[in-house]
Amino acid sequence: MNRFARFLPALVVLLALAYVVSHAVSRKEASRFHFQELAGIPVRENGRVKPLDTVARNTLMVISKRRYFNDEEKKEQPAIRWLMDAMTGKAGGHEVFRIEDDQLLRLLNLKPKPLFYRYSPDEIAPKFDALAQQAKQALALPDDQRDMFNQNVLRLSRQLDLYMSLQDLAAPSLLMVAPASENEEWRGLTEMSAHIKSGDNPAALAISRLLMAYAGEKADAFNQELVSYEQWLGEHLADSASKAQFEVFFNRAEPFYCCSLLYVIMFLLVCVSWVCYSGPLNRAAFWLGVVALAVHSTAILARMYLLNRPPIINLYSTAIFIGWGCLLLGLIIEEIFRNGLGNVVGAVAGAATTLIAHNLSTDGDTMEMMRAVLDTNFWLATHVVIINFGYAATFVAGIVGAAFILMGVFTRALQPQRLRVLGQVIYGTICFATLLSFTGTVLGGIWADQSWGRFWGWDPKENGALLIVLWNALILHARWGGMVKQRGMAVLAVFGNMVTAWSWFGVNMLGVGLHSYGFMEGAAFWLIAFEVSQLVLIAIGCLPSAYWRSFKAKALLGYVY
Amino acid sequence: MNRVIVSRPLSEVEAAPKPATDSQPRARKPLSPRDALALLASLRLTVVLFVLAFVLVFCGTLAQVDAGIWTVVKTYFRSAYVWIPFQIFVPRSVQVPGGFPFPGGWLIGGLLLANLLAAHVVRFRLTWKRAGILLIHSGLVVMMLSELVTGLFAVEGIITIVEGGSSSFLELHDQNELAIIDPSDLEVDHVVVIPESLLKEDGLIRDDRLPFDVEPVRYMVNSTAPQEVDPGAPNPATAGDGKKAIVRPRPAVTGIDREQSSDVPSMYVAFKKKGGGESLGTYLVSNWWSDYLERHGEYRPQRVQVNDKTYDVYLRGKRIYKPYSVYLKKFHHTLYPGTDLDKSFSSEVRLVDPTRHEDREIEISMNEPLRYAGETFYQAGFIPGDLGTRLQVVRNPGWLMPYVSCVMVAVGMLVHFGLHLAGFLQRRYAA
Repeated sequence: MNRFARFLPALVVLLALAYVVSHAVSRKEASRFHFQELAGIPVRENGRVKPLDTVARNTLMVISKRRYFNDEEKKEQPAIRWLMDAMTGKAGGHEVFRIEDDQLLRLLNLKPKPLFYRYSPDEIAPKFDALAQQAKQALALPDDQRDMFNQNVLRLSRQLDLYMSLQDLAAPSLLMVAPASENEEWRGLTEMSAHIKSGDNPAALAISRLLMAYAGEKADAFNQELVSYEQWLGEHLADSASKAQFEVFFNRAEPFYCCSLLYVIMFLLVCVSWVCYSGPLNRAAFWLGVVALAVHSTAILARMYLLNRPPIINLYSTAIFIGWGCLLLGLIIEEIFRNGLGNVVGAVAGAATTLIAHNLSTDGDTMEMMRAVLDTNFWLATHVVIINFGYAATFVAGIVGAAFILMGVFTRALQPQRLRVLGQVIYGTICFATLLSFTGTVLGGIWADQSWGRFWGWDPKENGALLIVLWNALILHARWGGMVKQRGMAVLAVFGNMVTAWSWFGVNMLGVGLHSYGFMEGAAFWLIAFEVSQLVLIAIGCLPSAYWRSFKAKALLGYVY
Repeated sequence: MNRVIVSRPLSEVEAAPKPATDSQPRARKPLSPRDALALLASLRLTVVLFVLAFVLVFCGTLAQVDAGIWTVVKTYFRSAYVWIPFQIFVPRSVQVPGGFPFPGGWLIGGLLLANLLAAHVVRFRLTWKRAGILLIHSGLVVMMLSELVTGLFAVEGIITIVEGGSSSFLELHDQNELAIIDPSDLEVDHVVVIPESLLKEDGLIRDDRLPFDVEPVRYMVNSTAPQEVDPGAPNPATAGDGKKAIVRPRPAVTGIDREQSSDVPSMYVAFKKKGGGESLGTYLVSNWWSDYLERHGEYRPQRVQVNDKTYDVYLRGKRIYKPYSVYLKKFHHTLYPGTDLDKSFSSEVRLVDPTRHEDREIEISMNEPLRYAGETFYQAGFIPGDLGTRLQVVRNPGWLMPYVSCVMVAVGMLVHFGLHLAGFLQRRYAA
C-alpha cells in the first residue's frame, strides 16, 4: 500500500471536518443592521420559546420552500431580513410565494417563471380579489372533492394570510413581548399597545422601537436598541436567551444538510472503490461515515437539548433518527466485514432519510410542542426510540438484500465467500430487527394500556408495527425451516422494505390517500414509487439462477439451491 | 473455492423437513397420530400461518378506511373467518364487487398456538441453546392468551361527571339503550330500558313494564348534528325537540376518521298508548343534545305525557351501575400559550365506596390513571367548555399478561440472539 493510500482516510476526515466547521461559523454579514444579533432574540411561537431566526426560517420555508430569499438584485438574503421587511411593510417586492400551478398562474395573470416559480406580494396583489373568490369556493367544497387547483388556491391564500398577519403584527401564535422572568406569560405585540404608549413594559417598548427604527432605516438607533434589549434579556431571561442563541447557531450550522452532502460523497467513494483503490477508498468512506455519524449524533443531541425531549417527537424526527440508526448499523457491519457493504448501507440510508426529512420540514417548525396524550418523556424515550430503531434495522436488512440481488444478477461479484457473508449480515440484522420491532411494539401496547386501558386496539399504526414483527418472524422461521437460504432471505428482506415504508408512511396516508385528488401528490406518489421499485427488485431477485451473472459459472449451479 | 457447503446452525438441521418423495407413487395410508402431530408442529405450517396473519392484519387495516375500528376488530380479528371485499384494495372512486373468504383472527391465532405447542412437544429439549426459544415462545403464548382474555372478558365504559357533581355508573360506548324514566317517585327513579338490538328492528315493542308502546321509526348508528328546521318543512318528528331540529344518518366512524372520533346515535321513535291506542307523537331522541349535556352532564330528555304522568325518555349508552361514586372536584385543561394545542388534562376526583369503606381523593391525568378494585380510570376527554370530565373505566382481568409476556420474550430474544452473536463473533475472530 503506498503512502497516499495510507493517508487517504485521514485526508478525507480532515476535509469533511473543515467543511462542517466552516459551514457552522461562516457569517455573511453585509448589512448596516445587525441581523445576526437580531436573529437570537427569543420569542414564543406555537407554544415554544425560540429565536426570531427560527420563526423567520420556518415561515419562509412554508411560503417559499427555502430558508433564504433573493432580493431585488438577485442576491441571497437571510430569512430574518425577510421577516423584518414583512413586519415593517417592506417585503412587497420580495419574490417569495412559490406558485407552480398553471391554472393558478393564469388566474393571477402571472407569467410562468420556470425553475424559480416565486412571486412577490405586489405581483399577486392586482388579482387578490379573484383569488379570494376562488378560495371561498374551494373552502365550500367538502375535503375529498377539492381538486389540485382548489388545493393550490387554498394553500396560497393561507400563505398570504400568514404573510399579512405578520405585516399587521397580528400573527396569533407569535408572542414577541418577553415577560420579566422565566415563569411569566409571553404576550403578543398588539395586545400590549397601551403599555407601549405608557412605556411601562421594557420588552414591548424595545420590540416596538426596533421595528420603528427598522422601518425608518435608522441603523444606528436599531443597533443601539438591540444592544440594550439583549442586555435586558440577559438580566431577566438568561436561560431562554442563551438557548435561543444556541438555536441560531444550530440553524446556521445546518448539520443535517452537511450530513446529506457527506453521505453523497461517501457513496461516491464506495462507487469508485469498485473500480480501483478498493481498500483505501473503502476505509476513507468508513471514516467519512464516522464523521457524518458524529455530526448527525450531535445534531440529534442538540435538538434534544433545545426541546428538552427524547430524540423522536414527530414524523420529521423519525426520518432523522432512522437515518442515524441505519448509519450506525451500517458502520458496525463495515467494521466487522470491511467489504464496502456497510458503507453503502449507511450512505444510501443516510442520504435518503435526510432527503425525506427535508421534505417533511416544509410545513413549519420541526421542533413542535407535544399534544397532551404524547406528553410523556418515558414512553417517547423507550417505545418510540426502540420501534424506530427496529424500522432502521429492517431497512438495513432490506438494503443489504437489494445489494445481494443487484450484485448477483448484474455482476459476477457474488462469489461463494461473499454470498455467505451477505447471508450472515441479512440474517443477523433481521434477528436484531425482530428483537427491536417486537419489543417496541409491545412497549407501545403497554403505553396504550397505561394511557387508556387498552393494550392492543388494532388501529392502523399498531397494525403497521405488527406487520413488521410478523414479517421479520416469518423470515427467521422460513430460514430455520430450510425453506429459504441466502437468496430467499434477500428477496424476503427487500419485501421488508415495503412493509416498513408502508408502516412508516402508508398508514398515515390511508385517510387522505384513498379518496382524494391529492392522492398522487407529494408523499403518496413517492411512497408508491418506492413500493413499485422494491417490487421490481423482488421480481429480479426471483429470476432463475441461470439469469444471475454471478451464478453462471457451472460449478456454482448446484450450490445455489 | 474451499468451502462449498454452507454450515447451518443446529436448529436448522433439526427442523429441516424431510425431502419430498412425490416422484414415487405412495400408498395412501391413514394419517397416524404421530404424523399428524409432526405436521402440526412443522415450521412450514408456521410460515404459512405467518403469511395468513400478515394478510389478515393488512386487510384489517385497509378495511378501516370505511369501517369503524370496533366493526373491523369483531369481523376480522375476533372471528373464525371473514369475508374480505375486493373493494378495500382499490380507491373508493372505483366500484369493485365481490370478495373472498379468509380465516379470521381466532382461527389463525388458535392454529399458531397449536403449532407452537406441538412444536415444543415434538422437539422439546431443555438445553441452553433452546432456553431462549422456549422463553420467547412461552411469552408469545401468554400474549395470545391475553388477547383472548381481553376479547372475551374486558369491559370498557365512560364516566361523565360535571364539575361539582358525581356519578356512579359507566356508559358503554359500543352499545346503546332507550331509557324511559318515571321521575314521580321522590326517592328513586323507575327506569325501563330497551336494548339497542330491539331498537334497530321494525315493529311495535310491547311490554307490561313500559308505560306505553314503543315503535322505532328510524335508528341511526351515527348521525349528523341537529339542524334547525322551519315548522312547515318535512320532518319525521311530530312532537318534542325534534319538531325544531332534524338529524340525518351518517356512516359509522371509521378507524381513520379525522373529523369525528366516535359515533353519535340518534333515533326517531313513535310512542302509542297501550293496547293499540292513539299515537303520542314521533320523537327525536339523540346523543347530540350537548347544550343540555354541558349544563347538566346528562343528555337532554324528551318528555312524553300519558295519563297525566310525564316520563323522561333518553337515548344513551348502555349503563352499568357501580357500588362507588366518583365526585369531580375540579377539572383542569391547559393549552400551550398562544395556541389551541392541548398541553394537559387532569381531574381532581373523590372516590367513595361504602361497600369497601373507601373514601379517597386522587388526581387523574393523561398517562397517570387510577387503579381501583380491578378497574382502571383514565383521563379520556372532557365536556365541551371544560365543564366536566370524561373518564374511561376499564376492567380487564388480563391486563397484566402483556407485561409478563413482554419481559419473557425480550429476555428470551436477548439470550437466544446473544448466544448466536457471541458464537458468530468468536468463530470470526478465531479464524
